[in-house]
Amino acid sequence: MATMPASASDLLKSFKLKTKQQELLIRVSILCLVYILAFITRLFSVLRYESMIHEFDPYFNYRTTLYLTENGFYDFWNWFDYESWYPLGRIVGGTLYPGLMVTAVLIYRILRFLRFAVHIREVCVLTAPFFASNTTLVAYFFGKEIWDSGAGLVAAILIAICPGYISRSVAGSYDNEGVAIFALLFTFYVFVKAVNTGSLAWSLASAFGYFYMVSAWGGYVFIINLIPLYVLVLLITGRYSMRLYVAYNCMYILGMLLAMQIRFVGFQHVQSGEHMAVMGVFFLMQVFYFLDWVKHMLSDTKLFQAFLRITVTCAVAVGGIALGLGMVSGYISPWTGRFYSLLDPTYAKDHIPIIASVSEHQPTAWSSFMFDFHILLFLFPAGLYFCFKRLSDATIFIVMYGLTSMYFAGVMVRLILVATPAVCLISAIAVSATVKNLTVLLRSKNKVVQTGSTKGSGGSKSSSKALLDQSQPFQKNGAIALLFGAFYLLSRYATHCTWVTSEAYSSPSIVLAARGAHGNRVIFDDYREAYFWLRQNTPQDAKVMSWWDYGYQITAMGNRTVIVDNNTWNNTHIATVGRAMSSYEDEAIEIIRSLDVDYVLVVFGGVTGYSSDDINKFLWMVRIGGGVFPVIKEPDYLVNGEYRVDKGAAPKMLNCLMYKLCYYRFGEMLTEYGKPPGYDRARGVEIGNKDVKLEHLEEAFTTSNWIVRIYRVKPPNNRCNIHGQSGTCNPQNLGVCLDLLGLVDVNLGNAPTKPCCSLIEGLVDLEGAVCLCTAVRANVLGIHINLSISLSLLLRNCERKVATEYICGP
Amino acid sequence: MAPKADTQSAGAVAAADASSQFSMDPLFHILKVVPYSFLRAPRLRLKIPSVSLPSAMTVFSLVLLTYFMVVSGFVYDVIVEPPGIGSTQDPATGAVRPVVFLPGRVNGQYIIEGLSSGFMFVLGGIGIVLLDLALDKNRARSVKVSYAIAGISSVVIAYVMTTLFIRIKIPGYLR
Repeated sequence: MATMPASASDLLKSFKLKTKQQELLIRVSILCLVYILAFITRLFSVLRYESMIHEFDPYFNYRTTLYLTENGFYDFWNWFDYESWYPLGRIVGGTLYPGLMVTAVLIYRILRFLRFAVHIREVCVLTAPFFASNTTLVAYFFGKEIWDSGAGLVAAILIAICPGYISRSVAGSYDNEGVAIFALLFTFYVFVKAVNTGSLAWSLASAFGYFYMVSAWGGYVFIINLIPLYVLVLLITGRYSMRLYVAYNCMYILGMLLAMQIRFVGFQHVQSGEHMAVMGVFFLMQVFYFLDWVKHMLSDTKLFQAFLRITVTCAVAVGGIALGLGMVSGYISPWTGRFYSLLDPTYAKDHIPIIASVSEHQPTAWSSFMFDFHILLFLFPAGLYFCFKRLSDATIFIVMYGLTSMYFAGVMVRLILVATPAVCLISAIAVSATVKNLTVLLRSKNKVVQTGSTKGSGGSKSSSKALLDQSQPFQKNGAIALLFGAFYLLSRYATHCTWVTSEAYSSPSIVLAARGAHGNRVIFDDYREAYFWLRQNTPQDAKVMSWWDYGYQITAMGNRTVIVDNNTWNNTHIATVGRAMSSYEDEAIEIIRSLDVDYVLVVFGGVTGYSSDDINKFLWMVRIGGGVFPVIKEPDYLVNGEYRVDKGAAPKMLNCLMYKLCYYRFGEMLTEYGKPPGYDRARGVEIGNKDVKLEHLEEAFTTSNWIVRIYRVKPPNNRCNIHGQSGTCNPQNLGVCLDLLGLVDVNLGNAPTKPCCSLIEGLVDLEGAVCLCTAVRANVLGIHINLSISLSLLLRNCERKVATEYICGP
Repeated sequence: MAPKADTQSAGAVAAADASSQFSMDPLFHILKVVPYSFLRAPRLRLKIPSVSLPSAMTVFSLVLLTYFMVVSGFVYDVIVEPPGIGSTQDPATGAVRPVVFLPGRVNGQYIIEGLSSGFMFVLGGIGIVLLDLALDKNRARSVKVSYAIAGISSVVIAYVMTTLFIRIKIPGYLR
C-alpha cells in the first residue's frame, strides 16, 4: 500500500520544478503566446479578403522588391526608373530606403533555401506582422532593462495588441514603418543597455541597430535627435560617467559612418541642420572627458575652477562660431520643411500645401488618442510618476522618449506610431508597480503567519495573529478587489484593441467594402478592375495622367508609365498636373499634349458614396497648382468661400476638366431611389452641369461602380502640314476651322483663334486675306458665315501685318 | 558638475583672488588693468543666485501639465481653430442647440470636448498615483485610507466618463 503511492509521488517530485524554473517556464510560455498573438491579430484582412498589398505606398515597395528579386542587388541599387514621373524619370536607388525590401528578399531567400516555394507577394504581405512579433520580444527585454521582468512581460502584452502600432503593421501593409518600429525599439534597447553596462559590444550593436534604422525609414532623424537630448539631460543632472562616454562615442561615430552608406542619406550627417545636435553633443562629451582628466591630474581645486571656466567658455564659443560659419556659408543646410513643420506646426499650412494636404499629417484630436491607446492614456502619467520616483539612467531615457514622442504624436496623427512603444513601456511600469504593491499587500499576511507558526510558542502566535487580524482581512479583500479591477480594465483594453483592429485598421483601401441593404457585405473591387484594364487594353508605352495618389498603384498593377506618383519629389510637376485638372478643357489639352499623355484617370465616388474621390481632393489640386502657377486662383472655384458642385457652383468649377471627367454621362444616372438623376451621393447634392461634352478626350473605360474612370486623349485634328513649304490656301478647312471654333462672329473677340491661324501660316499677308475671303464666300458644308467679318480683326489675331482695311469683294 | 560649481565658486574665487593675488584667468587680469586700475570697484552685497535643479516631483507636475495639453488636442486647436462648441439647428422648432462632440470623424474635435477628455485622462492617472501613495508605509492610517478611496473613485470615474465620451463620439463603438 505504501510503495505504489510513494513511487508515484517520488516520480512526481522528480518532475516538480524549483521556483526559479517554474518562473522561467511561465515567462517563456507567456512570451510564446504573446508572439503568436501579435502575429494573428494582424491577419484580419487576409482572412476577409485575400492576401494582397494595401494602400498606395506599399505598392511602390512591392514593385521595387519584385525588381530586387528578379535583378539582384547591384541592379536594384543603380536602378533608374523611366516609368514614373514621365518625362523626368526617377533615380530609385538613390531616393529610397532599402531596408524593407532587402529584409523581405532575405526572408524570401531563406524560405526558398529551406525549399518552401512561397511567392514574394506572400512574404511581403506577412513581413509586417512578423516584425511586430519580434518587436514584442524586444519590448520584453527593454522593460526588463528599465524596471524588471514583470514590467517587461506586461510591455510585451500591451504592445502586441496596441492599435497605434497595428494601424501601420497589419498584414498587407508593406510599408517602411512595419520594419522601422522594430529597428527603433531595438536601437533604443541596445543603447540603454550599453549606457547601463558601459560595454563596447553593446555599443557596437547599437551602432548597427542605428544603421538598420537608417536603412529602413526617414524617421531615423528622431533617434539621432533624441539620443543627444538624452545625453544632455544626463549631463545636466550630473550623471556623466565613463559608461555613457563609451556608449555614446561608439554609437555616434560608427553609426554615422554606417549611415553614410545609404545613398539617400549620403553626407547629411555632416551637412544637414537636423543632424547637428548629435555632433554638438559629441564635442561636448569630449570637453567633459577632458575636464574630468584635468581634474584628476590637478590637485588644486582653485586652479581647476578657473581652468573650468576658461574651457567651457572657449568650447561654447568655438562651437557657436563653427555652427554659425557652417550655416552662413550654406554648407550646413537648414531644417527641411517636413521636419520643421514638427517644431512649428503652423508652418506647413501656410507654406507647403503638399505636406498639409495629406490626411495623416493633420494634428491629433483627443479621440484619435483614445482610439489608439485606450487604457494606456491613464497608465502613462502613472508610469511617469513611478519613473520619477525611481530615477536611473534607463528610466530617464524612457521618460524622455515618452514625452518627446507624445508631443510629436500630438502634432501629426501618423506619429502616434512612434509614440506607441514608449507609451506601452511606461504603462507597463505603472501596471507592474501597482500590481506588485497590491500582491505584496496580499502576501504580507501569509508571511507573518508563517513566521508566527515557525516560532512555535502558542501564546505569541495567537496574540500576534489577533493583532494583525483586525486590519488584514479588510486590506486583503481590498487588495483582491483592486486586482480584479485591474484585470477588468486590462480585459476591456484587449476587447477594445481587437474591435478597433477588426473594424478600423484592417481595410485594404484598394478594395472597398460596405454593408448592403440586407446587412450583407458588398465588395467594390473597382481599383483593381481599372488597373488591370489599363494593363491589358492599352499600348505598352502609354502614359497615364492622374492625381499623384494613384501613381504607385498604376505603375505596379497597371504596368504603365505615370506622370506623377506618391513620391511627390517634384512640386512643379505635380502643380502642372493640378493646373491641367483645374483648367478649362482647351487649356488643359495643351498641357496634356505637352506632357505626351495618352490616358487620363480620375476617381469618382458619386455613384457609390465613396468620399475619398478626386472631387473631394480637388481643392488641393487647385491650391498646389496655384502655388506654382498664379493663373489658378482658389476663389474662382468657390462660392462665398464654400465649395459646391450643384447649380449654385462657380462657373469655373462647372467647366473645369476634373468636373467634366468625373460627371461625364452622370447626369442621366439614377443613383438613389427618390432622387433626381445626377444625384451625387458623396456630396449629397444634384450636380449643376448635367450636360457635359468632351472635345479632346473620349471615354475609354468606366468601372462597374463608376469609381475609376479612364479617358483617352484624342489625337489632334488633321490639318495641312506647312512645315518649310510655301503655304497653300485651303478655304474648305479654314471655313470648317472657323466655324467649329465658333468664330462666326469674330467681333466677339474672346474665343481663341490661334489654331486656325496655322491654316494660313505659310501664306503672305495678302494671300492670307484672299484665302479668308474665299473661305467666307465659299459657304461650304452649309456653313453660313457672316459677311460682316472684319478681316483685319481676324488677321490681327493671327499676328499678321495689316496695312489697310481689307474688305472682301462681292 | 561644471556650471553649478562654476557659479557657486565665482564669488569665492573673486574674494580669494583679491587676497591671494594669483589667478590663471586671463580675463581677470585684463579687467584688473583696463577699467579697474583707475576705477574703484564698488562694494556690493549682491550674490549670484544659485541655480539648482528642481526636484523630481516638481518636474513631474510640469510634465503632467504638458501631457494634459497634448492629449486634449491643443495643437489641433491651434492649427485647425475649431469652435469652442458646435451648434445645430433643431429642424422642428428652429432653436439652436449646442453640440458638444464633433460627429462623423474620429480625428476631429471641438475645443471643450478636447479639454474635458484630457482632464479625464489626467484624473485617471492621478487616481493610480494616489493608490500608490496609499500603499506607502510611512503615513497615518487615516491618510492612507482617504488616499485609497480618492484614488479608486478617480480611476472609476475617469474610466466610466471616457467610455461614455467615446460612445457618444463614435456611434458604432464596440458593435
